[in-house]
Amino acid sequence: MAVRVQFENNNEVGVFSKLTNAYCLVAIGGSENFYSVFEAELAETIPVVHVSIGGCRIIGRMSVANKNGLLVPSSTTDTELQHIRNSLPDNVKVQRVEERLSALGNVIACNDYVALVHPDLDRDTEEILADTLNVEVFRQTVAGNVLVGSYAALSNRGGLVHPKTTIQDQDELSSLLQVPLVAGTVNRGSEVVAAGMVVNDWCAFCGLDTTSTEISVIESVFKINDGKPTAINSTMRASLIDSMS
Amino acid sequence: MSLYNFKKIAVVPTAKDFIDIILSKTQRKTPTVVHKHYKISRIRAFYIRKVKYTQQNFHDRLSRIIQEFPKLDDVHPFYADLMNVLYDKDHYKLGLGQLNTARHLIDNVAKDYVRLLKYGDSLYRCKQLKRAALGRMATIMKRQGANLAYLEQVRQHLARLPSIDPYTRTIIICGFPNVGKSSFINKVIDTPGILDHPLEERNVIEMQAVTALAHLRAAILYFIDPSEQCGHSIEEQISLFESIKPLFTNKPLIVVLNKIDVIQPEELAENKRRLLEELQVNCAKGNLVNADSNSDLSVVPIMRMSTVTEEGVQEVKIEACERLLGHRVTEKMRSKKVDGILNRLHVAMPAPRDGKARPPVIPPSVLAKKQQQAEKENRKRKLEREIEVELGDDYVLDLQKNYADIPEEERHDPIPEFWEGHNIADYIDPEIFDKLADLEKEEELKIAGGMYAVPKIELDETMKEIRDLARQIRNKKAILKDDSLLRKQSTKPVMPRNTRAKQRDRSTTRLRDEMEKLGVDMSDTKEAHFTRTRSRSRSLSAPAAKRMRPDSRARSVSRPARDEQGIQDGVCGPKMLLAH
Repeated sequence: MAVRVQFENNNEVGVFSKLTNAYCLVAIGGSENFYSVFEAELAETIPVVHVSIGGCRIIGRMSVANKNGLLVPSSTTDTELQHIRNSLPDNVKVQRVEERLSALGNVIACNDYVALVHPDLDRDTEEILADTLNVEVFRQTVAGNVLVGSYAALSNRGGLVHPKTTIQDQDELSSLLQVPLVAGTVNRGSEVVAAGMVVNDWCAFCGLDTTSTEISVIESVFKINDGKPTAINSTMRASLIDSMS
Repeated sequence: MSLYNFKKIAVVPTAKDFIDIILSKTQRKTPTVVHKHYKISRIRAFYIRKVKYTQQNFHDRLSRIIQEFPKLDDVHPFYADLMNVLYDKDHYKLGLGQLNTARHLIDNVAKDYVRLLKYGDSLYRCKQLKRAALGRMATIMKRQGANLAYLEQVRQHLARLPSIDPYTRTIIICGFPNVGKSSFINKVIDTPGILDHPLEERNVIEMQAVTALAHLRAAILYFIDPSEQCGHSIEEQISLFESIKPLFTNKPLIVVLNKIDVIQPEELAENKRRLLEELQVNCAKGNLVNADSNSDLSVVPIMRMSTVTEEGVQEVKIEACERLLGHRVTEKMRSKKVDGILNRLHVAMPAPRDGKARPPVIPPSVLAKKQQQAEKENRKRKLEREIEVELGDDYVLDLQKNYADIPEEERHDPIPEFWEGHNIADYIDPEIFDKLADLEKEEELKIAGGMYAVPKIELDETMKEIRDLARQIRNKKAILKDDSLLRKQSTKPVMPRNTRAKQRDRSTTRLRDEMEKLGVDMSDTKEAHFTRTRSRSRSLSAPAAKRMRPDSRARSVSRPARDEQGIQDGVCGPKMLLAH
């Protein structure tokens, strides 16, 4: 299911939440509207946890996560770390990293097997990332942007990248990640796809502004609701051309 | 949401209202009191301000009207033509142009009179100049009366126009009156019936339809009623089709035979059937310029339907939408627009790089839930939002309630973050429970080994007697002590005899000694401002103050004798006496 949701009138839901196949982190907001959208969809299967990082609500951009582990920046307080450890399943490794590029969510994009990272990321962080999240790590850019975590939204079944990514780049990234990739947008043309949506292997959440065309691309490439990535250049092709140009 | 929204244009007042509005505004917003004994420069400034203010308001108001009305050259040709049909392009342009001229005239009047006012030499003359200026402005506006009335009508009509975005997908349905267009659909542009007569003779409503046909990038459904119930023969309907066909060039076109519930085309009379066959032949040539000759877009299909029985209606709708989309896509593919998004139509499929399997991780419960959802819609869990709504202002987010591996009663134990300046987390010992268990085990072993067992002491007879006696003595002493306390009269505290009064033991000497002992060089501290040890009066070192000194004189004299005043000492006295 691809669900449209808004955090306190803000469409950048990927900033205020982090979704993996084993758990979901949600920012602590003024009301529970945002949290309960996730709760209704997920809470019966995986823990949905209220979290703050260093007193901030932008947890999606500060942390990087998959089903194996969670990396948080050095600004995370001990109490917050303790809360995260208490709330997540025991097999999830939670690790705090001393990294200069502290918005880990912006500099790292990952699924459960592969991670793309900012070319300037610290060596130590890269090692910790590989160990904690149990992923292969590749230093890459997306459409010339070093903030790979902002411009790529990944799951184990597919990926959505910056709309200006060339076909060659898409093919290269796709064979690194071993998942189908599509260049696209969320939130009525927003390029920062990872900030505008969160996704795991069976559901996705995107901003309230996301158009139905964007939703159908998302559902196809992430194979949500029995979507197929090939639909994008077959059955959906005509309507995509018409709506985008 | 449309590109063109004419509903926001502000009301255009009539000339009289216009003048009233502006003049009363001048009256309200500028100073009103002036006296003739004021300095002339002040009087001039007072009236200049009034003239300028009035001119500015006229100017702003007129500019706003001129700006808000759509410019025929800027809007989409569809709207430009529509407005030409409805309001007459020349009249419209002239109206706005005249307003523009009026605005210039008013500006000039103000400029002239402000210049004259600078030479006004009395209150009276300045006032007359101001009156003349405002009067001339009002006259100019009064001449625009008819013009303003026309623009107001245009505005009202524009506001009522349907807002059509000329860039989106549109479907136009056309045909003779009563052929079943409105029954087909009311959502898309429903053109009123067009009659077959020369363009110049068409009325406004028909011309509206023609502009739509000409300018919108739309799919067109031409309706024909073969039953002729609409009151027009098939010949007329086909000849209209042929006459407005030029408007359809390069637009997806479908000819629809409606009312097949009344009569099927096959059942028509011989000559009418032949007309339809001719139409079919014509349509097979197609009307799209750029369509592939072998694609199905190249022919104009003739479809049948009945809006009464709804037979074929769905097929017509689907066909129209498909054709419109297909046409738009081929048009766009020909232009450069698509190049920019080609990368977004590409699905990069991964080339396998190793044999590793990377399966999706979907919990079986998700699949089970999906199945359950398919069976029926039910949710057991009470959402956080529902709790929030239920509790209202009393709601407090409970972060700890979902700590699965901490027992229920311990989950809400408060843990302070800081305690006496220490970060609690730094002192958390993850192995504390193991250590506790170890200690307990060790303790158990010690107990088992008899470490804490008290050895039993055997007492003989004499020891017992002595102990017994000692206890009796202790009791007796305590009783005696209490008795004496009760008997005592005084309740004041008692100063024990064998303690001495406390003496100050800090002194400069001691400080010096100690510091020297510690190795500090104290040789240069003669001048240092150590606090002088000042002994109390009780101090042993102080001399007895009241002892009489044998060498001094009697102290009872408060003042020396006059002959001794001012003399330094005993030696000087006799010398002084001699000096006399």
